[in-house]
Amino acid sequence: MPEHSEFLERADELAILRDELAAIGPRGGGRLLLVLGEAGVGKTALLRRFCADVDARVLAGACEPLLTQRPLAPLLEIGERAGGDLGILAASDARPHEVVAALLTTLERGPTVVVLEDLHWADEATLDVLRLLARRIDAAPALVLVSLRHDELDRLDPVRVTVGELPGPPRRMTLPPFSLAAVAELAEPLGLDARELHERTRGNPFFVTEVLAAGGGIPETVRDAVLARAARLSPQARAVLDAVAVSPGTVEVTLLEELAGGELDGLEECLSSGMLTVDGARVSFRHELARLAVESSCPPDRIVALHRRALAALGAGDEGDADAALIAHHAAAAGDRDALRIWGVRAGERASAAGAHREAADQYARVLDTPGELCSRERAQLLAALAEERYMTAHLDGAVTAQVEAVACLRELGDDRTLGDGLRRLSRLLFFAGRTAEGEQAALQAIGLLEPLGPSRELAIAYCNAAQRYTVTEDLVRADRWARRADEMVELTGDPEARMYALVNAGVIRSQTSLPEGHALLEEALARAQSGGFEEQAGRVFNHLAMWPLRARRPDLAEPSISAGLDYCGERGLDTWRLYLLALQAQLALGRGRWEEAGELAHEVLLDPHSALLARSWALTALGLLRARRGDPGAEQPLLEAHAIAAPTGEPARLAPVAAARAELAWLGGSGDDIDGLTAPALAIVVERSSAWAASELAYWRWRTGVPPGVPQELLTEPYRRSIEGDWKRAAAWWEQRGYPYEMALSLADSSEEGPLREAHERLLALGATPAVAIVAQRLRKRGVRGVRRGPNRATRENPAGLTARELEVLALLTEGLRNADIATRLVVSQKTVDHHVSAILRKLDVRTRGEAGAAAVRLGLTDRPA
Amino acid sequence: MPRYMIQRRFPAGLHIPVAVGGAEQCRSVVEANAEHGVTWIHSYVSADKTCTFCVYDAPTPEAVRKTASVNGLPVDTITEVSVLDPYFYV
Repeated sequence: MPEHSEFLERADELAILRDELAAIGPRGGGRLLLVLGEAGVGKTALLRRFCADVDARVLAGACEPLLTQRPLAPLLEIGERAGGDLGILAASDARPHEVVAALLTTLERGPTVVVLEDLHWADEATLDVLRLLARRIDAAPALVLVSLRHDELDRLDPVRVTVGELPGPPRRMTLPPFSLAAVAELAEPLGLDARELHERTRGNPFFVTEVLAAGGGIPETVRDAVLARAARLSPQARAVLDAVAVSPGTVEVTLLEELAGGELDGLEECLSSGMLTVDGARVSFRHELARLAVESSCPPDRIVALHRRALAALGAGDEGDADAALIAHHAAAAGDRDALRIWGVRAGERASAAGAHREAADQYARVLDTPGELCSRERAQLLAALAEERYMTAHLDGAVTAQVEAVACLRELGDDRTLGDGLRRLSRLLFFAGRTAEGEQAALQAIGLLEPLGPSRELAIAYCNAAQRYTVTEDLVRADRWARRADEMVELTGDPEARMYALVNAGVIRSQTSLPEGHALLEEALARAQSGGFEEQAGRVFNHLAMWPLRARRPDLAEPSISAGLDYCGERGLDTWRLYLLALQAQLALGRGRWEEAGELAHEVLLDPHSALLARSWALTALGLLRARRGDPGAEQPLLEAHAIAAPTGEPARLAPVAAARAELAWLGGSGDDIDGLTAPALAIVVERSSAWAASELAYWRWRTGVPPGVPQELLTEPYRRSIEGDWKRAAAWWEQRGYPYEMALSLADSSEEGPLREAHERLLALGATPAVAIVAQRLRKRGVRGVRRGPNRATRENPAGLTARELEVLALLTEGLRNADIATRLVVSQKTVDHHVSAILRKLDVRTRGEAGAAAVRLGLTDRPA
Repeated sequence: MPRYMIQRRFPAGLHIPVAVGGAEQCRSVVEANAEHGVTWIHSYVSADKTCTFCVYDAPTPEAVRKTASVNGLPVDTITEVSVLDPYFYV
């Protein structure tokens, strides 16, 4: 077989890789490239060939085909080669952002090719590393090559989601199978029928190579081809082959020697036949497909015996926990329950520490699934750990199930302290799963068990938990009561975690009555959470720093919190909180009139399998409202889904926005819902809790559709109160000042004068708010105004950027170099109106400055149009 | 994937030359659509060429709007539709 066979028809790909590397700067300008293709198409072979003659340092690592992988497996390999901090970090319990920081430091040393192979098997922590690396790649002089089998991944597979969302997006290179011509070139010297070989193998290079190496006829499957080749080996060589087959990834020669019973005579034959390859002191199959074929043909008793030997060899040595996942794999395959219990738990803890929560949950679940007489306390701990890992990956139902089982276990043990703590954890999970009533019950049961035992850390946290439960439902009387008990207990115990928890609660409670004071408290809590390393609490604080200002329509406070929070949570892989923040950003964008962005963000949250139920409900509300306001189809479905999530929570912050959105949709003519019936249940709750913004929003939509508002005057917040009082002018000014263009236009439309109605019409047209435009047009026509446009057609959307006629006029004057004040004078409108038009122009042209807008106008041929 | 009927108005009339330029215009629209998972099936054009009814397959209405803005095409209304074949009942 010609040695170069795998590189037939790969000259173009190699040239692309060389060009990519050449484009890297000496100090930065790094690039990321995805190498895609089916199993056996030659991704690894291509990358090895490329790396063999590059004039740069190569750091390569591969993900492992273990059912539950070692976290950061490829980085371990890279760390071993690179040494330094990276080597130490990858082998310890480092978090993905720390690993990336160390990797970037290593990369500063000069041009480097980083290879991450077989990403389809990647653990969660490795995916986080890739995500962070992609974001900073521009600052490193490195070419990062990532290979994966993209065709085998489910749409919701975390690997696929991660790859789909990489910033850039990175260049993709898909390796095609061999053409008939290439197969012919290889087959004909051996007298094989090229057409038949090409058809049978579908041109898969690995399959073709195996057939050629096996000699003889053309087997049916790739497995047959591999086994035909293996069958020609001597018994000693076959023994070595079997030993390697039970070791996914690569195996150390020393370990291999033990597995093969001290006999490595057959190794040379395996290597020279080309079935195995050696890299340093590590041996592996030439391809995972070959390993699977050999493993599957090995008698079960021999497989078990080999796994036992591997377990004995690895488990005895002081390999450290880095190999725990590998040892647990052998323990499971060897059917050794005791060893699996020890190594599975260690592997889970290690995965959890590295942020690979999915893998940690898999490890714990595997240990729990083995029949055996685990003592209840151990089992309860393991179940609680499983619940926590499932919570971290937003698998909430599974988390609740595990914690319920943990509580049952603890009940048997009869230790009230641990049982109380278990119930407190269960309460929290039930709340996250939207099961408010059950969560409340568990919170109170926990306190009932812990109180008689006297002051303790557990009791302090149980009080905090209860206070948090009631802050979420905005039951401030109860929240305050538990918060005060929590404070006393924190003083008594001095527990730092409980202190942090209590401080955040205080900020959240305060935010609901006085936003500035609450905000200041939360800022303080954030600083302490960050300096104290309470990452989960910091994520929660960012969320509250955005949510309450957003509710009070204070984008000036919400926006900076969202962007800082996204950075913080993104860096640390705090996905649950990051997705909450993205959902809030979708709502913010919708309010600020950045509708396209709102839609994109909502979809991002909804497509991410990590999105918690409650983040989804926010994203669904934003999406439904966006469609309602645009008059697009499919507005009702997301709102119904959001309602289904919000209803059982009893939280004003969730109930009211969904009910208000559904009322708005009905007003716009998108559904025939009865607005009183739709808003009344939520209204009753939010009025009882004195939740001012939630109540006002509902009152407003009831008023707008002729239903009595049903909210006490003193609870109404300013813009809504003004509208309901008939002071449309002040309402419009308020919204204008806060930067909510749609609400502003709707307020103007409440005027009975032609001028404001026309302005409302114009602004709604600019937003693309078709149904509202039609409503305002009808009001204008009723007043006898003629020639009113019904939709964003006629004069608008004639140009690529979709500018309105008025915006084109403003753009023309702006291009002439006029200031806003001059433009206002020229067009006889207020300067505020011009400011508004200018920002709409910048947004639509996707530019930041007036100068850029002028350039874009010329490029798009917009300025010479008659205004 | 949902199917949508998109109504667009071209007050100045839509003129796609039946030549290389027209093919180029259509090809660039099709390519931009593909990036967002949107497929343009075909369109009906009013006799005066000021109005088109375009049949699209798209994952969401947002994807329809996104590609319209990338392509510089107007969007008046988007309606989700399904096929009714009169001869199915015969």
